[in-house]
Amino acid sequence: MSDADPAEGTPPFLELRGLKKHFGGVRALDGAELTLRTGSVHSIVGENGAGKSTLIKTLSGLLVPSAGEIRIDGTPVTIAGVNQAEALGFRFIHQELSLVPHFTAVENAFVGRPYPRRGGFIDWAAMRRRVAAAAGDIAPDLPLDRPVGQMTTGQKQLVEIIRALVGQPPRLVVMDEPTASLSDGEAARLHAAVERLSRTGVAVLYISHRLDEVMAICDSYTVLRNGCTVGAGRIAEIDRAGLVQLMSGRAEMRGQAQPPAPGSPTVLRLRDVPFGAQKRPVSFDIRAGEVLGLYGLVGAGRSSLLKLIWGARSHAGGEISLDGTSLRPGRITDRIAAGAAYVPEDRRHEGLIVSRSIADNLAISDLRQVRRAKGLPLTSRGRMAARAEDVRKALSVKMDAPWNGPLTLSGGNQQKLLFGRWLGTPMRVLILDEPTRGVDVGAKAEIHQLVQRFAADGAAVLMTTSDLDELMALSSRVLVMASGEITADLDGDALMPARVIDAAFQQGQRTTPKEPSV
Amino acid sequence: MTSFVRRYGTLAALVAIVIGFSIASPGAFGTASNLINITQQMTLLAIVAIGATLVMAVGEFDLSTAALVSFGGILVVVLFKAGVPAPLACLAVLGGAAVFGAVSGFIVARFEVLSFITTLAMGTIIGGVTFWLSSGATLFGDIPAGFRDLARGKIAGIPTLTLWLLGVAVLAWVVLDKVELGRRLYAIGGNREAARLAGVRIVPNTMMAFVGSAMLSALVGMLLTARIGSANPTGGGGFLLAAYAAVFLGMTAFREGEANVPGTLVGAAIIAVVGNGLTILGVSTFMQDIITGLIILAAVLVRRTGMEGHGR
Repeated sequence: MSDADPAEGTPPFLELRGLKKHFGGVRALDGAELTLRTGSVHSIVGENGAGKSTLIKTLSGLLVPSAGEIRIDGTPVTIAGVNQAEALGFRFIHQELSLVPHFTAVENAFVGRPYPRRGGFIDWAAMRRRVAAAAGDIAPDLPLDRPVGQMTTGQKQLVEIIRALVGQPPRLVVMDEPTASLSDGEAARLHAAVERLSRTGVAVLYISHRLDEVMAICDSYTVLRNGCTVGAGRIAEIDRAGLVQLMSGRAEMRGQAQPPAPGSPTVLRLRDVPFGAQKRPVSFDIRAGEVLGLYGLVGAGRSSLLKLIWGARSHAGGEISLDGTSLRPGRITDRIAAGAAYVPEDRRHEGLIVSRSIADNLAISDLRQVRRAKGLPLTSRGRMAARAEDVRKALSVKMDAPWNGPLTLSGGNQQKLLFGRWLGTPMRVLILDEPTRGVDVGAKAEIHQLVQRFAADGAAVLMTTSDLDELMALSSRVLVMASGEITADLDGDALMPARVIDAAFQQGQRTTPKEPSV
Repeated sequence: MTSFVRRYGTLAALVAIVIGFSIASPGAFGTASNLINITQQMTLLAIVAIGATLVMAVGEFDLSTAALVSFGGILVVVLFKAGVPAPLACLAVLGGAAVFGAVSGFIVARFEVLSFITTLAMGTIIGGVTFWLSSGATLFGDIPAGFRDLARGKIAGIPTLTLWLLGVAVLAWVVLDKVELGRRLYAIGGNREAARLAGVRIVPNTMMAFVGSAMLSALVGMLLTARIGSANPTGGGGFLLAAYAAVFLGMTAFREGEANVPGTLVGAAIIAVVGNGLTILGVSTFMQDIITGLIILAAVLVRRTGMEGHGR
């Protein structure tokens, strides 16, 4: 607990007023407000896509807001670039650490900074002195001369903080999920470091998915929802339930999808499949016609679980079966043969083969469909074109020639190609990872209809989405994951946003894994 | 217009080079017999380059190519000396090369080791095996006349070597452009992870590409032995750079940025024509190397600048 709560009377060091950032039609920030005082540890909380990252990027100079004001000490400023943010005394510590593994803490602290010199050569003694001075305040027992590659994740975080302190004194340190992969002990050390940091007069913006941590080390908070500040105040005056309520909003909303007809057969079945760092067994069933939503914060392990079910990752023990037939771990071709389909999250890197034509992209998962003659592995261009035409009609894809590259299409139409890849064979299971990410509103509605159509035709659909509205609109049942574990199984009246968010922020016991589990 | 230049620019460059040499040395270069001679001269290089095209299609490199050429040339003579009948000896050489290729491909695909490093190591191993088989000496004698005919003489007026090139080129073009295997290889080369998630099996398909490349290299080794009547344990040394140069030149032709058989043929032809034409003009061989290198750099640079305008 920060014992020195900043006086309310002092003028705020940083103010964000009416901050907006639009990307095309997407409103990433839509009136965000923030007030931050010197010496304060301030938490920004919100579900996925609430606008936290965008807000941070406007502070770091990576994004210029579309509207609104950033004020420092009461004076409006424009942060045009990363260098300017640095000059303002802003320091950013990201979850993916940016350290050189075979450099020591001392060496890392000076990467990209002017080195102290003596007679034209680098003054190693001065470097070490300055780093030791910075470390002395924050983490006195950190081994400064060990390559950071040999350090734990927690120690690396401390090196990042020290790096932020070397050079010009910082006024603001932003920490994004610093304890996500730390053990209890390491997290406690980091908390202590943050507290000491704030006592030196630095303002800390602390982003964490661990509400217990937020309650323990922060003194004030801002809650974002849909790019808008929906609440702010002192931590002492709110409890966990209050934060969850603010984050989820939509108190009256319930799941809108119909559950599958009673007696629908189970299609996809997981039994005791070990998952996550703890290898906790995961079991669930999806019935024909059912859309099962899988919700979780970034890093909860949703995509990894989908990949494991799809066979893109292997597992030892447990069983995954489709229509009663057991699927071998790590065999994608087994899933395809049994009638499963998968639309990955990252269209550009996991979905499309951008150097190949649209027709090629549609044919690659089942080349037998475009054979010149049965039994001969010869591909017919005519059949590939005909197949592309079929998909174009079935999914109303807006495209010209099937031999154009997929990147000539809009995001929504690219996404439809990934669905279209699986048309032509009876679909039993449809695995969707963020099916509408980066598509416009119209395409989103069409994709929703597609999902509903596949389900109505008897497919079992398993879908992750970070969009709570999409989750509520499409799924009749929702599993919530946190830290690689399923923390809730909600349907019927229990399926409401506040319950989903609450379970997503339900962090289990910390463990001591060497690396993040997922 | 720009896309036309990008597609056919390399081919146009080949035609321009041929016309240029024809004007510069009309009586010697531009004759039908010399042009047929060039196809014969480019055969061995072009077949190695077609093998390299298969591996480049999956987005990998095979640096063991040169060692496999030497290996094929030596092993076939060693088998002849041991009294193995010629057809069997040839099959054994191809089979041996296929094993090496399969091992390289497996290591690259299964363990995701860089193909650069894997095939560098494999090439070193194959080179060692070749020296061991030959005791480091040039091997000659005991080579059946029928085997030597594989790379000598003409059939229906066309040099036998040229026919080999035609056969291999057509086969490889069918495999890459008409057969399912080719779709899979290009898919892997285009985006390995996306191909894998779409159900393409990375390991067996990648292995096929390396096996094809290895067998074609060993075939060239045997044809080299058949042509010159002896085998040298470093006989394939010159092929690696020239073959990849041909593939890179070819990647600037016909298709944008993808290794393809027609393009590789154009690339090999450019290298062969420049060598032949400059020799006729009496230009020294080291000057020829410098000029060939400059041509490759120019082709790649033209392509890069073309792509910048393309918004990549």
